[in-house]
Amino acid sequence: MSTEYTTGSVIRRALRASPILGRGLRLTIVLAMVGQAITVVTPIVIQQVIDKEILGSDGIEMVGVLQKASIALFALVLGVVVGRVALLRLVRSSSSGLSDLRTKTFSHIMRQSVLHVQAERRGNLVSRVTSDITTLQEFMEWGGVGLIVGLSQVILAMGVMVFYEWRLALIAFVGVVLYLIMLRWFQRILASNYDEVRKEVGASLGVLSESISAIPVVRAYGTEAVTKARVAEALDRRFRIEYVTARFGNTLFSTAEIFAGVLTAVLIVAGVLIGINQGMTAGTLIAFLFLANLLIEPLQIVVETLEFAQSAASGLRRVMSVLDSEIEIEEPEDPRELRDGGLSVRFDGVRYAYPTGPDVLTDVSVDVAVGARVAVVGETGSGKTTFAKLLVRLLDPSEGSIFIGGVPAPRIRLAELRSRVAFVPQEGFLFDDTIANNVRYGRPEADDAEVWTAFHELGLGEWVEGLSDGLETRVGERGGSLSAGERQLVALVRAWIGSPDLLVLDEATSAVDPVLDVALRHAMDRLIEGRTSVTIAHRLSTAESADEVLVFDKGRLVQRGKHTDLLDQEGVYADLYADWATGTKSV
Amino acid sequence: MSEQALTPWTVLRDGSRLVWRFVKRHPAAFAIAVLGAAMFAGAIIGASLAVGWVTDEVIIPILDGGAEPDLLPLAAALIIGVSVFKAVGIVIRRTAAGWFRFATTRDVRNELLAQQLSLKMSWFNRQAIGDLLAVADSDVEQGTGVLSPMPYATGVSMLLVGTIVMITAIDPWLGLGAVVGLLIVIAIDVHGSWITYGMWEEVQKGRGRVSSVAHESFDGALTVKALGREPYVSDRFQEVSDTLRDRIIEVSSTWTNYQVVIRALPQALIIVMLVVGAARIDAGVLTPGDVVTVAYLLSLLSFPIQLIGYVLWDLAGSLAGWQRVQAVFDADEHTEFGARQAIRKRRAAPVVGSTVGFGYDSEPVLSGLDLDIRAGTTLAVVGPTGSGKSTLCLLLARLWDPDTGAVHLEGRDLRTFAASELSKEVSYVAQDAFLFDTTVRGNITLEGEFSDEEVATAVALAGAESFISDLPEGLDTELGERGTTLSGGQRQRLALARALVRKPRLMILDDATSAVDPSVEAEILRALKSAALPSTIVVVAYRPSSIRLADEVVYVDDKTILGHGTHSELLHSLPAYARLVQAYEDEARRLQQEAS
Repeated sequence: MSTEYTTGSVIRRALRASPILGRGLRLTIVLAMVGQAITVVTPIVIQQVIDKEILGSDGIEMVGVLQKASIALFALVLGVVVGRVALLRLVRSSSSGLSDLRTKTFSHIMRQSVLHVQAERRGNLVSRVTSDITTLQEFMEWGGVGLIVGLSQVILAMGVMVFYEWRLALIAFVGVVLYLIMLRWFQRILASNYDEVRKEVGASLGVLSESISAIPVVRAYGTEAVTKARVAEALDRRFRIEYVTARFGNTLFSTAEIFAGVLTAVLIVAGVLIGINQGMTAGTLIAFLFLANLLIEPLQIVVETLEFAQSAASGLRRVMSVLDSEIEIEEPEDPRELRDGGLSVRFDGVRYAYPTGPDVLTDVSVDVAVGARVAVVGETGSGKTTFAKLLVRLLDPSEGSIFIGGVPAPRIRLAELRSRVAFVPQEGFLFDDTIANNVRYGRPEADDAEVWTAFHELGLGEWVEGLSDGLETRVGERGGSLSAGERQLVALVRAWIGSPDLLVLDEATSAVDPVLDVALRHAMDRLIEGRTSVTIAHRLSTAESADEVLVFDKGRLVQRGKHTDLLDQEGVYADLYADWATGTKSV
Repeated sequence: MSEQALTPWTVLRDGSRLVWRFVKRHPAAFAIAVLGAAMFAGAIIGASLAVGWVTDEVIIPILDGGAEPDLLPLAAALIIGVSVFKAVGIVIRRTAAGWFRFATTRDVRNELLAQQLSLKMSWFNRQAIGDLLAVADSDVEQGTGVLSPMPYATGVSMLLVGTIVMITAIDPWLGLGAVVGLLIVIAIDVHGSWITYGMWEEVQKGRGRVSSVAHESFDGALTVKALGREPYVSDRFQEVSDTLRDRIIEVSSTWTNYQVVIRALPQALIIVMLVVGAARIDAGVLTPGDVVTVAYLLSLLSFPIQLIGYVLWDLAGSLAGWQRVQAVFDADEHTEFGARQAIRKRRAAPVVGSTVGFGYDSEPVLSGLDLDIRAGTTLAVVGPTGSGKSTLCLLLARLWDPDTGAVHLEGRDLRTFAASELSKEVSYVAQDAFLFDTTVRGNITLEGEFSDEEVATAVALAGAESFISDLPEGLDTELGERGTTLSGGQRQRLALARALVRKPRLMILDDATSAVDPSVEAEILRALKSAALPSTIVVVAYRPSSIRLADEVVYVDDKTILGHGTHSELLHSLPAYARLVQAYEDEARRLQQEAS
């Protein structure tokens, strides 16, 4: 996945995704170079003071010394000021750009169905908006600055070198180019090692985070020792590959020093030989050696930041591959409005299969009239939940079409669809906030009185009043301070408060006690008048009172009709109901 | 750390303590790294001496004096030799420093997990998982970040001391000037890292917040999308991301201000020293050569001094990151264990709870609860939503400890068991089945020693036989992270097999078959019943079919047990119980009457 991008193309892609990153970058680079150029004045003046005054033949002229020192100090301050402006600009644009990129990536991920289809990838996706961006941030701040300053230094040094002695400059230039070619070669060798490192880093963090998430299970089964051993092994593998790669990299990159030594030696030899024949002065050669140092220094910085650059580039690749992944559920280009009032539903030859899997639903065609109360039943794995997700357009069918209120589902604006159609999944997920604020996810503008009303309408007023802080009770991480059944109650109210015209419940009260379950359904039946409801339930009591029952089996809609009619037929429903009736018989 | 008034010195002090704590563990690696750094520092001085010698003895005599270029090869060899020595120093330093840091992060992560495993569930429940993961990942990384440049900085400090000694030897006044100048630079460095320290803390907090919001939003994605609230969570994310951005800009800008000053100061110092030196030459105290040497030595220092600045900046960042790691290490709500070993016999154990009371955050959930379960009984726990059934289960499995009273297993207080011993007698199965990223078999055995036959028996009892045999590689199929390739009911059945294979003396099923189809559930319960397990079974249930299979029932409400007896006894004696278990029957009857 990540190999599709070359470093250049991924950077261009990132600049396109978040233009703030590159905004004003040219001016920043120019400022950095100007700042760098000004600071070069200082060593020159120092040189002047030493050559002309201290070592000069006519003795020391203190006034001249002070004058020159003042010039040097002034240049220093000016360079600092300009350099500071450049650095601040870089800090601002990179931080803003990366924050922008992070937010865009987050929104993109939120719009993908991978989140609820392949929940296992959630952990990885979190690192797209956390550690990957952090890596980029670090690179921009350390490597980025170093590279810009270094680049300007190389250009300046080369310019001055050519001015002093072009032949030596040519030697230095050829040397630098040769070394850069070598670096590229090193980098390629190292790239595969770094891939290994990243794989082990990912694996070790995966094992570590799994173990942390599983602490309750580990405690319950007393597998602390095994868990620690597993984590220790993964961390050790990671440690070894990190160490070996670093050692290898260090050895390759220490050649920067040897290169510097060889280049200096070659320049001395060549300079002396040229000097003997062409009469170059010792002063020029010495000056040249210092310039060579100016040239080599940034190369060493480049080498130092190469590792940063590697991980930054692969982080950027991962972020970009998320941004480039397709969003399955698209907004309509040519939207149509839904009519007010209850909504009908029509499935027309719908088939659904996950990208790599077998059919989950096959050839489902069904009409649900406005205001109907429909129960969907079937064994686990019969396709009920997929049916519900298609119905509320969390998924799009692989084949066939779905109409809501007579409008093809893909042509309804998502915001409108979500506000008219409510879906309550089984999990009853709550955010780490108060009960009231969790309910307001269903209708942000609802005030406390409205939230109260919603609870009372469903007969849950007493329950809320029994909580320590009523509506202001905090539910804890993932609603952890409430029981599973209580979380479902809040989730139900959350959907209810949006007064949906089509309510889809997927086992939404599976953990609620039977008395409350029956009471909730009575309340909803009373209030939902004129609106459509589709309820998926294990508990067939829902089916008993429904206007119509849809029976799914192995991905197909096998029976439909009223409870009493279906009971008379032989088939899946009669079997399910027999099981249910035995199950609920109290004596 | 944060409670005290923060001064530059506390940053330095805490920072050195932090570094020392790591150095103590791997002193050899650190020493080797410092040795490499010292070689490197020596090579810098060596290089300057070599260039000086080559200038004086080779270049000037040949070019200005017309001498023969005999010494030229020697000069080249000398320069290259010094650079090789420097390269070796670099390899030694970086490799040892890398080893030091990698080994430290590995150790810290291992210890972090061990610490979290030893803490009470009450502590764990108060944490955001996303936060804990951020601590184990980025905070550890940040907290040990200072270790990479540390050996280098130590070597550089040696260089610094050496240089000052050399300058002082040339002229005490110039030496004093150098010391004062360098102290000013270092003072500014320290001040900068102190100022940025607090900002770093905010940055790390901001990172934790971003990670938490991302975790929560992705975990709750189905809900968010079902409600069409993607724009809202995106806004919320943008808010925390923007806050983080602002904090990063704040800390980086502040640091940039310090950085540019620190970069310029050594140069300014050279200029000042030149002026002073010129005056001293004028006064006839120093020779020009002395001043040139001093200026050259000082110019050597400008990069190392910047580096000290970087290290201090890293130190501030590391302290801030480490503080969040330290907070986990500082948590002292350890689960107290006794020394008792589990009894390996395969016989059901009786359970007694006496005056058990428990509350989350002072909100009482259970109080004064007495419970007596005879060995081998299957006990159904029934009660309305939110009545404390799950809490009771957690207390029986000692995932939580009661605030008052005690739970005894065959006369032994659960708290007297040694770590990992109680679970040899007690198995607990929660409603949401956590599966590991390993094979089906691995998820059942959890790396315990169980024969194929034992696993097969457990799988069959849990009603998982048919779907496992449908998997591509049966028991050896890899499940992938969190086992999400399986349905909820399948996951629950695996979790059940995990408990059954252990033949526990007490098995607790907290609504552990809620996602299983009623017919399958009935089958499982019938199988459990007829298998004559060596277990006392506590099962939270709603379905009358499950309840009927139990020998006894307790009805939990109003924070305690309101009734304990057989199903039919409670049906007659406890109207609330009858209403609860007969709700569906009553409803069916009512609908029938309506119809006819």
